[in-house]
Amino acid sequence: MRRRFVRTLALAAVAAFAIASSAPGPGPRDVVAETVDDVLAVLKDASLTPEARRERIVEIAYERFDFPTMSKLVLAKYWKRFDPAQREAFLKEFKDFLAHRYGDRIDRYEQERVEIVGERSAKGGDSIIETRIHRPRAESVAVDYRLRSSGGDWRVIDVKIEGISLVSNYRDQFHEVLSHGGPDKLLAQLRERNAGRGGEES
Amino acid sequence: MRRVPRPWRAALFAGLVACALAPSAPARAQVGPPELAAAAAIDGTGDPGPWDPWEPFNRPVFAFNDFLSRWALEPLGRGWAFVVPEFARNAISRVYLNVRTPGVMVNDLLQGKPRAAGVDLARFLLNSSIGLAGLLDPGTAIGLEANREDFGQTFGVWGIPPGPYLVLPFFGPSSPRDAVGRAADAATVPVGWFVPIWATATITTVDLANEFSFVALDIAEERAEAFDWYAAVRNAHVSHRENLVRDRTESEEQADEEDDLYLLEEEMEE
Repeated sequence: MRRRFVRTLALAAVAAFAIASSAPGPGPRDVVAETVDDVLAVLKDASLTPEARRERIVEIAYERFDFPTMSKLVLAKYWKRFDPAQREAFLKEFKDFLAHRYGDRIDRYEQERVEIVGERSAKGGDSIIETRIHRPRAESVAVDYRLRSSGGDWRVIDVKIEGISLVSNYRDQFHEVLSHGGPDKLLAQLRERNAGRGGEES
Repeated sequence: MRRVPRPWRAALFAGLVACALAPSAPARAQVGPPELAAAAAIDGTGDPGPWDPWEPFNRPVFAFNDFLSRWALEPLGRGWAFVVPEFARNAISRVYLNVRTPGVMVNDLLQGKPRAAGVDLARFLLNSSIGLAGLLDPGTAIGLEANREDFGQTFGVWGIPPGPYLVLPFFGPSSPRDAVGRAADAATVPVGWFVPIWATATITTVDLANEFSFVALDIAEERAEAFDWYAAVRNAHVSHRENLVRDRTESEEQADEEDDLYLLEEEMEE
């Protein structure tokens, strides 16, 4: 009787410990650290062709970015003008497009080392992780990641390179398109862009 | 300031090369996604949408500049990259950077950053002498990293807002504040005071060719991927300038204002 009680207690303790240690999951800093490590590993892998390299970065973005949130932020007030089918289509095309743009831009820098230089919290419970790409023969580049947590799962919702935000930049551009055309025009342009890349991943 | 018109004359003299950022060439120097910074323009506010009341004027000027960039400067840059090896282009860049260092120093001081001014002074002395007029960069090697400051940023640090986005012919994206700053910057690069106009034109041309050699392909790629190239450059320019003014350390207020970009509207939540 007593033995069983002790065993139960021990089990409960183990379970509690397991839950306690797994519940917080990786924090925003860990997510960014993993992301930049993965990117760096890809960029340094000499066996990859340039195309394969970018595709690998795209996969990394797929894993760590919160595309539904990014889509809403980019469309902002126009989100309401998209019907459910258009939203779904936008999400799919924009995900493909944005991941490639991130890949193109990051692939541009010869990276020696990436340093996480700061971490701060921002409005809405977001977290901003500041990184610096150190380059062998040129000045370092500041890349800031903004992350948002949903259910303890931190994902990237924006990337700023030297102060230039992916979300804000495409928001301005898309709003120009949307104010002259409509959702369908923007979707058509996105599809064209993605198809032009030749790859039909995702 | 009386000297300011000189870069203009030089630009004309240089013919196609006009796009001259004569005294302003820190285009790339200011880094950034360099392709955008180089092409970039503007000034406005963060998120409530770009502040661009002069868009009807800006768009055609932008189109003109873009035409020059596309058909003169980028080809020039690509050609230069083909002929001049990278290490030499890097060295040339450093010489131009070095020549501008006294101007940066003045702005460090005007912004109340004596420490940065000291670093730039030490760099300038070291790179001008041992560094062979800047061809080499012993300064960075011993931890004296170059600062990037100009009068437009100084005015910003003093609290002067940029004003609306403004695209200048040849000089590219700017703002009323930065346009004035640009003229002041010109006065701090004393080269134009001593050398004849043909030399100024040559110096400007080499600078442009060299700078575009680094960014020509990236500019072309960004242009090809843009949905609205004008809006893309405007956004990049404004964000980049703001970022430079605040030197990457945002004040609470600015951060808050900018944070509104990340709010999801209630209706969007569904």
